[in-house]
Amino acid sequence: MFHHSEFVIFTEKYLQMVVITNKVREAVDESGIQNGLVAVISLHTTTGISVNESLECLDSDIEEFLGRLVPEDHPYFHARILPSYGSTAGNPTGHIKAMLTGNHCLFSIVNGKLVMGSAQEIYLYEFDGPAKRTVTITVQGE
Amino acid sequence: MKHIIDIHTHPAFFEMINHKEEMLEKRQQVLGLYKAGTASLNHVFNQMKVAEIDRLGLLPLDLTTQAGFEVVSNEEIAAIVSESPDRFIGFASVDPYRKDVLDVLERAFTDLGLKGLKLHPAKQRFNPGDAIMRPIYELCLKYDKPIIFHAGLSLEPDAPVSFGHPLGFEEVAGRYPQLRICLAHFGWPWVKETAALLLKYPNIYTDTALLYFDSAHEFYQHVFCEELGKYWIDRSLRHQVMFGSNNPRFEQIRMAQAIQQLGWRDSTVELVLRENALEFIREEN
Repeated sequence: MFHHSEFVIFTEKYLQMVVITNKVREAVDESGIQNGLVAVISLHTTTGISVNESLECLDSDIEEFLGRLVPEDHPYFHARILPSYGSTAGNPTGHIKAMLTGNHCLFSIVNGKLVMGSAQEIYLYEFDGPAKRTVTITVQGE
Repeated sequence: MKHIIDIHTHPAFFEMINHKEEMLEKRQQVLGLYKAGTASLNHVFNQMKVAEIDRLGLLPLDLTTQAGFEVVSNEEIAAIVSESPDRFIGFASVDPYRKDVLDVLERAFTDLGLKGLKLHPAKQRFNPGDAIMRPIYELCLKYDKPIIFHAGLSLEPDAPVSFGHPLGFEEVAGRYPQLRICLAHFGWPWVKETAALLLKYPNIYTDTALLYFDSAHEFYQHVFCEELGKYWIDRSLRHQVMFGSNNPRFEQIRMAQAIQQLGWRDSTVELVLRENALEFIREEN
């Protein structure tokens, strides 16, 4: 069996960490699939999908660490008019952070439930907000 | 909260005026914003909040005779403003070659309550000093409404750069000293010519809607601290420069941040980010 759904989030900040675990649980429940895998995938190139513990101290550490790795004031090449868009490219940090965090995660489903560690939450990371973001949830199994 | 006014934005891709896919595609093509998606008001407000922008100047574009349609009409601007009058400052547009030009403009200033006029010489194919323009300028004077002219380079298709040379506006500034005019985009690349006109004509304003190369921080540093003398704006032109982003073509949030990193005194930053725009549209702070 195969079940595909998506949801939209309007992020409100330039950098934002949004816990989306419940959205994934709901999609798994809706699918009716008892045993299989669920893939959570962002459709964007300046967001990330990642798994971590939801603590504000860790949120701050992760944001600070990524900001140190990918500083805003570096002379990036992706800072120019893009003729195909007709507008400026000003979000190199978002693209690079998205590469570091990846655009998806995968979890097992057993007996109709997500199998997750007790500390694990699924995050959508916004690296170039505010923006309209779409996340897909694909469930495959039986 | 800094209460910034971004005097130069284009609402062509606001969701509320893009119900038809065909119209969205026409706007993308005629404005040269080929991948622009629609933006809900909710998204616009989020973006303003992050940039610490309180109000947006909304600029329409009437290309009735040049392209056969109004890219954004005065009525659409008025409708957007009515959704949030505290956040939006609506400007009018009028195609100088349409037969009912003065009727359209007068209705925009009276019935629709729009605050000024936006004209685009390159796109609308007129020279600012043309005699045909004088009744338009005189109507603006009658209603004490300012004009924002596109000046300098335009990245829109079918908009020759030569129409935007700042010196082309000198005739207007000199003939109508009571008419407030803004040479948008700092007239880039002719920024020294724009600075010269600002120095000579107190009725000329400009805006910071220029981001043609580099990041916002890098380009503003280059233009305002290297191409122009580092102190020229802070010392001499501080009452005539308004913050404008030209969003969605340019980066509104980063531009608003970068304008505050130029080493100007705090009172100059306040003038540029807000107070000069209020003076331009004759509104109390």
